[in-house]
Amino acid sequence: MLKENLQKFFKIDRRWIFLLLAVCIFVPIMKPLGLPNKTIAPETKRVYDYIEKLPPGSFVLFSLDYDPSTRPELHPMATAIVKHAFRKNLRVGVVTYIPGATGMIEEIFETVGKEYNKTDGKDYVIFPYMPNIVAAMTQMASDIYGMYPMDRNGRDTRTMPVLDGIKNYKNVSFVVCITGTAILDYWVAYVGDKYSVPVAGGVTAISQPGYGPYLQTGQLKGLLGGMKGAAEYESLIQSPGKGTSGIDALNLGHLLVLALILTSNIIILIVKFL
Amino acid sequence: MKFIKKTIPLLIVFVVGVLSLISYYVPHKTSVNFIELMSKWENIVSAFAFLLGLISLFFSHYHKISRKVDGWGYSIFVFIGFFAIIIPAILNHGKSMTAAGPTSLGWAYSSIYTALSGTMFAVLAFYIVSTAYRSFRIKSKQAFVLFVAAFVLILGKVPLGQIIWTSVLGWTHVTVSTVIDWIMTVPAVAGKRGIMIGIAIGAIVTSFKIIFGIERQYLGKD
Repeated sequence: MLKENLQKFFKIDRRWIFLLLAVCIFVPIMKPLGLPNKTIAPETKRVYDYIEKLPPGSFVLFSLDYDPSTRPELHPMATAIVKHAFRKNLRVGVVTYIPGATGMIEEIFETVGKEYNKTDGKDYVIFPYMPNIVAAMTQMASDIYGMYPMDRNGRDTRTMPVLDGIKNYKNVSFVVCITGTAILDYWVAYVGDKYSVPVAGGVTAISQPGYGPYLQTGQLKGLLGGMKGAAEYESLIQSPGKGTSGIDALNLGHLLVLALILTSNIIILIVKFL
Repeated sequence: MKFIKKTIPLLIVFVVGVLSLISYYVPHKTSVNFIELMSKWENIVSAFAFLLGLISLFFSHYHKISRKVDGWGYSIFVFIGFFAIIIPAILNHGKSMTAAGPTSLGWAYSSIYTALSGTMFAVLAFYIVSTAYRSFRIKSKQAFVLFVAAFVLILGKVPLGQIIWTSVLGWTHVTVSTVIDWIMTVPAVAGKRGIMIGIAIGAIVTSFKIIFGIERQYLGKD
């Protein structure tokens, strides 16, 4: 009897699980638990420290390559790092190789740019979308203007104050690639390794373990992983945002997955010995 | 005919492949110029590939609608989605934001594209949780090791999990971060590095096979 009852758990309508997950995600979003983020990953801290050490006026190149599907994880970290760069008065250039990213890039610079009183063309430049990653990266090694003669609004980049003295990677102090794809690997292989440009990244939690070898060898100066990485960076720059508020939903969601896996396996064990 | 269809493409691939390979290692003005020229050509070819893909997509879905094959109604949404973005893009000259606020392209981007794309990805989470409950069975020692590693990683990735770890295993003086750090820097890196080396060797071999005309699949069957 007990065995049959327990086996019913495996035939449970999946919609109950969907409902449970929906509750676990919605409740903390509506009413945040406010749990403290106790640890800061060393990889996150390294990105923060690197930007912190750059002298004002250094040119930082952001490669923001994510589309709305990975927005919850990657957009908060992109926003946080851009905030940090503006706070440090660094010059910022933005490239993208994902067509769906353009709207979110505009959104970041519209809000963060205004917050820090930064001007398009003087303090930052947004280059247009390019379809071929390797071609663009290779070309920028000799002459950035060969690949990007105009910004995304068709203005001449050669005369922009933000690009004063910038010709190629030799003049770029730091590259930060935030992506849900393998574009970070390209930055490491085609730019970081070949031209000795320091590269750091921000990736989704699921792809974070894959970058361990690059971190260990120093090919990546640092890495932000998933929503936790975003929350950690927000905590470092003391500017809580979507990463911090989303971490509560992540808390319960992750624990639900663990609880369900444990429950199903405990039931299997009990059924086996009954 | 064989000369035009086979020999010339193979010759182009060989010459461009060998020159690109040499240019990567030779820091000379000529090789830099060659790479720059190739980069520009690649971008132009990519743009044409986009156009070709778009035309192919349209024809494919047009035929589905005209022949009323199963699920032909979904094909209509391909055209609706395309025009919902492309028309505002043309009207606003590709600008999603102006000083006055978001344009109709900006609205279409945030209210249609972002919403649909986000929804599609979010639905995955529900299936992952359901599948984890139904399918993650610890039936072998390997599965047990995988489960323990996944358990520790998931637990350590969220503050609530860290609190649970500290309250249950705090007496061991081993933090969850230390355990995660070991998993990520020793077994995970070892596995990943092996995969990366394997992929890299495979890519090098395939590239040489293409350059020297041993691999000819890309030429098609004719």
